[in-house]
Amino acid sequence: MKRVMYGLLTVVLVSLAWFNTSMAAEGPLLLELAKTNIKISTFYNGTTLDVAGSLPADEDVVVQLSGPKKDVHLKEKGKVAGFLWMNKTDVSLENTPAVYMVYTPSGSTAAKFLNPELGVGYKALVKDITINPESADKAFIFGEYVKLMEKSGVYAINEGTIKYGEPKDGMKGFTISLTIPSKMSAGTYKVAALSMKDGVVTSRVTEDLTLELSGLPATISSLAYGKPLLFGFMAVFIAVGAGLLVGVLFRGGGGAH
Amino acid sequence: MFYMYLPIAGNSVNILMILGLGGFVGLLSGIFGVGGGFLMTPLLMMFGIPPTVAAASDSNQIVGASTSGTLAHMRHGNVDIAMGVMLLIGGIAGGTVGVQVIKLLRAMGGADFLIAITYVIMLGGVGGYMFWESLEGLKKSKNPTVEPKTTEAEQKSGKKSFLQKLPLQYKFEKSGCHISMLLPLGFGILVGILAAIMGVGGGFIMVPVMVYLLRMPMHVVVGTSLFQILFTCINVTVMQAYSNKTVDFVLAVLLLLGSTIGAQVGTSIGKKLKADQLKIMLASLVLLVCAKMMAGLLMTPTIMVALKGGH
Repeated sequence: MKRVMYGLLTVVLVSLAWFNTSMAAEGPLLLELAKTNIKISTFYNGTTLDVAGSLPADEDVVVQLSGPKKDVHLKEKGKVAGFLWMNKTDVSLENTPAVYMVYTPSGSTAAKFLNPELGVGYKALVKDITINPESADKAFIFGEYVKLMEKSGVYAINEGTIKYGEPKDGMKGFTISLTIPSKMSAGTYKVAALSMKDGVVTSRVTEDLTLELSGLPATISSLAYGKPLLFGFMAVFIAVGAGLLVGVLFRGGGGAH
Repeated sequence: MFYMYLPIAGNSVNILMILGLGGFVGLLSGIFGVGGGFLMTPLLMMFGIPPTVAAASDSNQIVGASTSGTLAHMRHGNVDIAMGVMLLIGGIAGGTVGVQVIKLLRAMGGADFLIAITYVIMLGGVGGYMFWESLEGLKKSKNPTVEPKTTEAEQKSGKKSFLQKLPLQYKFEKSGCHISMLLPLGFGILVGILAAIMGVGGGFIMVPVMVYLLRMPMHVVVGTSLFQILFTCINVTVMQAYSNKTVDFVLAVLLLLGSTIGAQVGTSIGKKLKADQLKIMLASLVLLVCAKMMAGLLMTPTIMVALKGGH
């Protein structure tokens, strides 16, 4: 039993040290996800994920949903022949999260928490991203990329959305419903809660969230990527079959149209 | 239950919306003999489908719609199979050349500029000419004293001396013309090259080529065009599924359900319209797409970057 306890303690300490070296031991921050696995089935259209937790009553909490990091290949728009706007130059953002959403507590403005020093907000992401070619304006390109991602719903700053419960014994609870848009593809994401006090992160807890394909989408996806030629012929075969069927049905209708 | 997840596009869509979209484009396909790729791809992109997946899944859908449409036109005796095969062979050869041209230009840079300019010139030129010509046609048909066939006959006799010297003369029964097989083959190659550069099936270029250059009757043009599109799109679907993995089968089936029915209805509508009415409607559509493209090129974009390719 003792060995198990020591083992657990080591795991907790190592993971805490890993996530935040400047962590202050001002009390436990708790984070709980209603579920850690979301199935993408045939009629899936995005969902919501209830998240709850607790923290010291005099602190604030910010929740971030992010991941997985990838290289993004973009075209920067520019003028051609002096008046035509076109996709002109190639530019890549490396190590960019596919999804990034921030939820801040009610009662304060988001600006209070969106600080690169705290590791929260779009500006905090910029330092981990490398741009190729290096001569390109990283802040500008990433800013435009953020606009593009916000439009498709996978990047968002949700101001004042975390609700606090009544303080009790120096602690308070928090709840938030995270938006999981349908554009979030299958993969492993991270949900992180950061507690803060006086502009300093006091604690940080992270949980994994997995999205996986199931049912028809899983079958089609494995066929399309695993047996692409067969998949191509199958797609054509079914399309021709549907076309013939409708053609015959309409003739059978005796020229109703 | 009104939403369905598209595993390859990586997004979900409203089923009714996609059925409606399929029906609308199928209708156009049945009426005009165009695949509708030049309309469908941008519309699907508006619903959050990546451009490469939109284009590939649309060609899968066109296979269904053009099967349905070709069948309907065959029953009306509107498909010139010999002509269609010649155009098809030319189209595939031209398409292969066009893909290499684009590869070369991409390596040199400036491919996007060429694509955009080709689009605007082709859409504007073809749409403008068709619009003007069919407007004249409609005016003439209202005024019975003018013989509408004169100009056509004059043009034909002018070309005859040269065209009759070409080898492989063949009588295309349904199209009502006696010409060299090399002629549709050559035009097929030309359309194939342009279609590959523009990344579309080429129906809206092929239709005017058949109407104005091969002088085929409008209703045979529509049926023959659909026949040709069917085989082009079978080829594109298999190639895209195999090499780029961009065919979203769920999306294609949803579009299909709408478009196969739309194509049947469209064929019946097309039958009731006069050739000039058909032409002026297609011309208006082409000009509208051209205007939208122009606006996109001239207006300052709100977001200065775009995702490259797709996957």
